[in-house]
Amino acid sequence: MPRLLLEIGCEELPARACREALAQLPALSRAHLDVDPEHVWVGPRRLALVAEVSDRTPDRWIKGPPESRREQAAEGFARRYGVSSDELEVRDGFLGVTAPGQSVREALPQRVDAIVRGLEFWKTMRWDDSGLRFARPVRWLLAKLDSETVVGEASFGHRFQHPEPVEIDSPAAYLDVLRAVDVEPDHDERRRRIVEGLPDGWSDPADVLEEVVHLVEWPVVLEGSFDERFLQLPVRVVQTAMQSHQRYFPLGGNRFAFVANGGDPEVVRAGNERVLEGRLDDASFTFERDVKVGIDELATRLDHITFFAGAGSFAEKAERLLDLVTRLGGGEASREAARLAKADQAAELVREFPDLEGHIGAEYARLAGYPEAVCAAVDEQYLPEGPDTPIPATEAGRILSAADKIDNLRVAFELGRRPTGSRDPYGLRRAAIGLCRLAIEGSLSIPLELLGPDVAEFVLERLEVLLPVPVEFTRAARASGVDDLGGVARLAEALAVLPDERLDPIHTAYTRASRIAANANGSGELDPALLQEPAERAVADAVARVEPQIRSALDAGDLHGALDAAVELASPLDRFFEEVLVMADDSAVRANRLQLMLDVRDALGLLGDFSQIPR
Amino acid sequence: MIRTLEGYWADYGCVLMQPYHTEVAAGTMNPATALRSLGPKPWKVAYVEPVIRPTDGRYGENPYRFQHYLQYQVVIKPAPADILDVYFGSLAAIGIDAKKHDLRLVEDDWEQPTLGAWGLGWEVWCDGMEITQWTYFQQFGGLELEAIPAEITYGTERLAMFLQRKRSAFELEWAPGVTWGDVYRESEREWSTYNFEVAPVDVLMRRFGEYEEECRSLIERRLPLPAYDQVLKSSHTFNLLDARGAVSVTERAAYIGRVRDLARAVCQLYVDLEAEGDAASAA
Repeated sequence: MPRLLLEIGCEELPARACREALAQLPALSRAHLDVDPEHVWVGPRRLALVAEVSDRTPDRWIKGPPESRREQAAEGFARRYGVSSDELEVRDGFLGVTAPGQSVREALPQRVDAIVRGLEFWKTMRWDDSGLRFARPVRWLLAKLDSETVVGEASFGHRFQHPEPVEIDSPAAYLDVLRAVDVEPDHDERRRRIVEGLPDGWSDPADVLEEVVHLVEWPVVLEGSFDERFLQLPVRVVQTAMQSHQRYFPLGGNRFAFVANGGDPEVVRAGNERVLEGRLDDASFTFERDVKVGIDELATRLDHITFFAGAGSFAEKAERLLDLVTRLGGGEASREAARLAKADQAAELVREFPDLEGHIGAEYARLAGYPEAVCAAVDEQYLPEGPDTPIPATEAGRILSAADKIDNLRVAFELGRRPTGSRDPYGLRRAAIGLCRLAIEGSLSIPLELLGPDVAEFVLERLEVLLPVPVEFTRAARASGVDDLGGVARLAEALAVLPDERLDPIHTAYTRASRIAANANGSGELDPALLQEPAERAVADAVARVEPQIRSALDAGDLHGALDAAVELASPLDRFFEEVLVMADDSAVRANRLQLMLDVRDALGLLGDFSQIPR
Repeated sequence: MIRTLEGYWADYGCVLMQPYHTEVAAGTMNPATALRSLGPKPWKVAYVEPVIRPTDGRYGENPYRFQHYLQYQVVIKPAPADILDVYFGSLAAIGIDAKKHDLRLVEDDWEQPTLGAWGLGWEVWCDGMEITQWTYFQQFGGLELEAIPAEITYGTERLAMFLQRKRSAFELEWAPGVTWGDVYRESEREWSTYNFEVAPVDVLMRRFGEYEEECRSLIERRLPLPAYDQVLKSSHTFNLLDARGAVSVTERAAYIGRVRDLARAVCQLYVDLEAEGDAASAA
């Protein structure tokens, strides 16, 4: 069987497009070449695949009209496929023809075209009037069947070191021929060379390696260094300048490594050092201006900076944060941190490094000699960044982070900017999830009244998704008397693991009481004098005893104690339903009994709306 | 360096143009790029453009940030298949030996919301320094382009810093004995003061509305070129308001939307008139 090499030559593709092609080419090979490729290699200037293909494409059955319509339709169908009508075959009651397979050589140009057009990218462009859309312009195609060139003419070497066309003798020779002209087509090999070439101690906190693999065709790892005076800058500022801006790998201290695509190492190193120093110089310039102003002065300049149109300035935000951290039980450190939290919004360095907001403020606070607890809280105020990334490590950090999120949510909701569909420009869903995690993982007490009804509703909806329990338990817990975010979460979890023999009696008692009382108006307050039957007096006594127990257990965070107390209502209620007719003839007695049922429902309802839980 | 680029692109067949007379925040906004990118007609142009970005001013104190700097802008429409090679030829012409340096095309997609325009392309890095913005335009004024132009925007200060191995633009040698700083430092200081502290917010806000109104009436009179100038003026006025800190995040989106609506209408009119003109001359 012949071996096929297909190379799609492009102008420099983004790393993402390379990965997209890598993911799609095997399936496209199966669809259009009827075979799994032996190799798929992707890189900035070429996408390649090698596959063993059949000499001929398979024969293909083309189904025509049903046999019953031979008279009317056979002639036309046969003509369309260039055969006479008596040459048509019959299969399963249908007429048809067998289209003979083509030699792979004949079929290839069209198949190659189908593969190129079949690739889909996140962003595509046009570059001429061919109508083709691709991630970047396609500049050449080459398809070889063994030593025969079927599509295109030649490949090309490294853009600058070997710009001339190169002959590929056969698919087997592809890698060797290209390596001789400074092109490594195999992305895994490029990655291996980079990782092997990086000196000990390299780091890649911003994950640039995968991009760098697709930024070069001939990776050469070089080392550089910068003037030690830039070590005065916050470490993360230096890292961001190196990684996000330049795609370098920090080596610690004033050293870094980077991956070049060729050139004279000395010239390239010197140039890169100058560029990095330029960026650091720029950052130092701003840093020094900020430090001269100082964090305390920056904190007083917030009244000119709009936090959110209609929601005043960052100065007002800082005041709200101070109030919120106090109400969240924050101590001295979190109050100080709240005052300083947004000061870096007035810092010039944050404008240059917006991703480092919070961190820059923390560094400035450290330089001003604030206690580490305060600085750490300022540093951690935007955590957690994602659903799986850590929450703040310090208590004050958790409190400040929660206060910031509560304020963002409240302000956005008050201004009617709640997320719609997939649009969430202010990151409110992330804030809500962060808040839930602070309550659950950080054991932070977050009273729901701090959120207000709309925000609480929104946050609790996120909680339903976040908690690893069936959603009904969270819904039940949401309707409970628990008024603390973490408390709702813990209650939902406690209900979900409650054994049936304990859940069932409470569930039954609750649903029976609430069903019968559902459409009724009670008397408003139970009148003990109207209690006639022993069974109803027993229920009234039980409610009077159990309700405060549930309340105080909940207040103490003792969910199991509260549930134990609730179970005690079950058997008096069973007896009540056996012995007492709620709908008594005497309307006062009736209203009093309905009130009793409402009291039962409300007492158990402190633990949630059990009707949400399917039984 | 600029003379060499002028010669190189003139030899390539470009019309050499001069800077535009209304403030622009990028060479792209000059009608020689923005409007000429529309429609099917071939167009090759090269020019220096002073770009005005009020928020980037640093009072002449920062060696890398200015509210006024010079771009060298080339637009080739439609882009030929070898356009990247032609561009690298221009770097060779100003003395960058591609075999000795590490030239890199790093993904950088371009979008100009105020013009309803976007394209795909790269930053060109030379030994890690970004020296050019490279874009294949796809849309302008919200219109899909018929012929795809390649836009090549050299940052002249960066490029000169690279060639002269200078760490500050102010130290660049502009002419024997005259530095870039001699020419522009005072202007940076004064304009930064104006942009950040002095520009009268209420007047600017009023002007923004006036430009908008005038643009609409010019569109009605079917005069896309003067109308386009009002787009540029309203855009610049918005940038000044931004520098004065008078625009909040949400208002921002509203202002940008207003400029974009004007740009769309002007671009559509330009395309319509060009097509009518062709139809008339064909008849």
